[in-house]
Amino acid sequence: MRSINRINKRLNKEFGGAVHAAEERGCVVLNGRVSTWEEVVRAGVLAVDKKHNRGVINRVTATGQTVPPMRIPELKDETLEGRRPDVLVIGAGVTGCAIARELARYDLDILLVDKEHDVALHASSRNDGMVHPGIDLRKGSAKHHYNMRGNALYDEMCSELGVEFQRPGQYLCFTKAWMVPLLYLTLLYWKWLGIPGVEVVRAKELFRREPNLAKDIKVALYFPNAGIVCPYGLTIALAENAVENGVQLSLNTVVLGMKLQEDGIQSAQTNRGTVYPKVVVNAAGVFADAVARMADDQFYSIHPRRGTNSILDKKYTSVVLNTIAAKFGASPKSAHTKGGGIVRTVGGNLLIGPDAVETCERENFATRRESIQGTFAKHSQTSPALNEGEIITYFTGVRAPTYEEDFVVCKGVHCKNLVHAAGIQSPGLTAAPAIGADVARMAAELAFGREPTLKMDFKPTRVPIVCAAHLSAEARAALIAQNPDYGEILCRCEEVSRGEVLDALRRPVPCTTVDGVKRRVRPGMGRCQGGFCGPLVAQVIAGELDIPLDQVQKSGAGSNIVLGPTKGGEAG
Amino acid sequence: MIGEMKTYDVAVIGGGPAGLAAAIAASREGASVLLCEREARLGGILKQCIHDGFGVIRFGEKLSGPEYAHRYIEQLKETDVQVKRLCFVTRVTKEENSFVLELVSREGVERVRAGSLVLATGCRERTARQVAIHGTRPAGLLTAGNAQYYTNILGQMPARRCMILGSGDIGLIMARRLTLEGARVLGVYEAKPTPSGLSRNIAQCLHDFDIPLHLRHTVTRVFGSERLEAVEVAQVDERMQPIEGTKQLVECDALILSVGLIPENELAESLGVPLAADTKGPVCDQSYMTMVEGVYSCGNAMHVNDLVDYVSESGEAAGRAAARYTYAPRTFAGVQAGAGFLYAVPQKLDLAHPTQETVLYFRSKEDRGKTLVRVLADGREIFKKRYNQLRPPEMERLALELSNEDLVEGSVLRLEMEDA
Repeated sequence: MRSINRINKRLNKEFGGAVHAAEERGCVVLNGRVSTWEEVVRAGVLAVDKKHNRGVINRVTATGQTVPPMRIPELKDETLEGRRPDVLVIGAGVTGCAIARELARYDLDILLVDKEHDVALHASSRNDGMVHPGIDLRKGSAKHHYNMRGNALYDEMCSELGVEFQRPGQYLCFTKAWMVPLLYLTLLYWKWLGIPGVEVVRAKELFRREPNLAKDIKVALYFPNAGIVCPYGLTIALAENAVENGVQLSLNTVVLGMKLQEDGIQSAQTNRGTVYPKVVVNAAGVFADAVARMADDQFYSIHPRRGTNSILDKKYTSVVLNTIAAKFGASPKSAHTKGGGIVRTVGGNLLIGPDAVETCERENFATRRESIQGTFAKHSQTSPALNEGEIITYFTGVRAPTYEEDFVVCKGVHCKNLVHAAGIQSPGLTAAPAIGADVARMAAELAFGREPTLKMDFKPTRVPIVCAAHLSAEARAALIAQNPDYGEILCRCEEVSRGEVLDALRRPVPCTTVDGVKRRVRPGMGRCQGGFCGPLVAQVIAGELDIPLDQVQKSGAGSNIVLGPTKGGEAG
Repeated sequence: MIGEMKTYDVAVIGGGPAGLAAAIAASREGASVLLCEREARLGGILKQCIHDGFGVIRFGEKLSGPEYAHRYIEQLKETDVQVKRLCFVTRVTKEENSFVLELVSREGVERVRAGSLVLATGCRERTARQVAIHGTRPAGLLTAGNAQYYTNILGQMPARRCMILGSGDIGLIMARRLTLEGARVLGVYEAKPTPSGLSRNIAQCLHDFDIPLHLRHTVTRVFGSERLEAVEVAQVDERMQPIEGTKQLVECDALILSVGLIPENELAESLGVPLAADTKGPVCDQSYMTMVEGVYSCGNAMHVNDLVDYVSESGEAAGRAAARYTYAPRTFAGVQAGAGFLYAVPQKLDLAHPTQETVLYFRSKEDRGKTLVRVLADGREIFKKRYNQLRPPEMERLALELSNEDLVEGSVLRLEMEDA
């Protein structure tokens, strides 16, 4: 109670009575009306008191700021009506897919749903692909726990799934020579945090390794366990492996409401029928709080935070950086991100970013010029060789933090058949394998009501789509001899063959769009951004799906690439 | 699998107008020639250019793109050039007196050896992201060449109600083409104060069809989550920055970009060929050999041309020289473009291998009225020409006779311009 009084005092001081806090079931619930979204977020931040409360539920609204409703697929059918899975996993991002794959190890019937037309369409395809060493995480936080465990699981998981994973390591650079002795002292701290192999790298050695860093850098800390992975490639691989092990994936499927009974979920209404799961897993990303609310188990609120990354032409990578680097204290600073940096991706490009901006729009992925200018201004302090002219594309993602700024990975508090994997923001990609294992274990315990039984025939390995350009000439020739489609290059920038495009369309997780093919085998990821290969890929899709060309979609429903035949043209 | 290595005198990479001309010319010089084309058909981008206006200089008549290409393809049939289609050059390595090419095709992986190399790799279009267009990324945001491919090759409409950003020639051509197909072209928006396309295209593609041209305007943002729904346009100031208060929303289903072409030189760069900052193509001598011995460049890979006739001309010259290539050392004089020039090519003259005439191409930086262009050899005027006007979109060509000019190693041929 004293805690609530203190919070209300703070809120009154800031908002003069416009926002009121009350305690409900161990949570702080905020109500009121303020003028801007920034103030809504500010109220939420002020109400955090982790010692005395479970979390902040922020119901404050902003005048003149309409929060857009969740986008819902147009599709309506009854394909899932009456389905009674043991576990329903809501959300097919990297967290949901990791959970589903881990659940597939148990003898359970699993249904994984996502409202989008493909997996990994929100934060999981809109981040920097870094597997974090865990530099700025507080020991004792869920983030720290899952980051350290997740990071350590990456090598084995990626090797099983046939996903490219590298550990180039990360440099945190400093400009003050007097910091050198201090940095040596921090080595004990990193050890205590559980980060292996950290070293202090003096200028001479640093510039030998990374010659294009800014000349005012005097010393750096090197974190060898920092890794890079293609985040959507990993999510797709997890989903495919889950499906190969019996998980049912239902895309274009949104949970619209839940029917509750005796402290638990009786059924979940979707646009494709009512589902009666034994257990529900909430991995719904920016909508995790909405799902928790449906289950009457909300004890956190998501406040979306936008971030934008740029990708540079890979031919400039070597003149900038070969690993991952950021400069300590580079401005403009933004709270609650890993600070962003320069990351060499597994695709060989450089990625710059991200920034962090609070927003009420959970699904607005539009980019803004200021974001690009801001991140370049910041990170060219790390490597002055960065040049905006070398950008080939940029993208925006929306993070899903709670006001406590920590992951929520636990069984439901008031709802007995729910497990939360919520508040997942950076380092969520790193944490995914560890969260996946823990949440799957919790859900399995609930589903079995006893010690869960493992399946004997779980197959952890996945055969990836061959990347012909990475093969030796001899192996490539052998592949083409087997199937000449691998010898016909459709995407000149990324050297992707017709065979690989066809493979992308024939996987365990269906893919029918130009962007879906791009996320799987990379045509259009290069410097011409699909200018040449776009129509070729669209034709392959039309042929494979046996549909007219004007039915081929770039992305979601309504994103038709072309709009019908010309006056003299033929349909298809 | 990888068979015995075949050897050619000349390998030409790219089967568009530059590569076709190069292969034919090299073959006519008696060289054994390999022509690699990554697409299924020869002709390059001409295949989709079904409008006329090609070949006025070369053939004295207005041909369509496919007709122009056809003339060269017919000539090619009379040579013994080895043509490989759907054949992608994945790698080229330079050895002592030859090059080894790795080719990937439906037949497999093949390595071939060539004495000299002609890079006729053309150019690509600048994309929406390269001109910093922000907002969402829906369908309906495409380059003019891309729109042209859908319309003319696939017979499919990329737009019903569109606007065009950039007044480059392909954009102007597409404004007319889509109008003829029944689409509504709301306007062409150009950030610069003068159009980027040829005057004849402004007249024939815009004026004749009442399509408005909005100079000093640009697109600041695009909207629409799946299909493009609207774009925000704004007037720009002298520094090309959007002026607040002039922003306006225009509803349309496509934004077609014609905002510049970039020579494709990734293969050249992999061979260490230095590129010029102004043309973004290789630095070349008058036979279009790059600064790497035995590597030639031509057509739009060397610099973006305004007319295909000049593309063929440089292709022919490069092919001829590549066939005669002997690895004899070169002696260079320089070519410099003075104030007022956007660029001039070639940038070097090889005095050890003089050509009968030396062809210089240049563009002015700005629209100008009556102008006198002078060519100075080590400060001495050796040539002058008066122009009624000079415009950046229109390339100019000079043919000089330099054999009597006593140029020596390190000499400088300087182009200057002044109001006349």
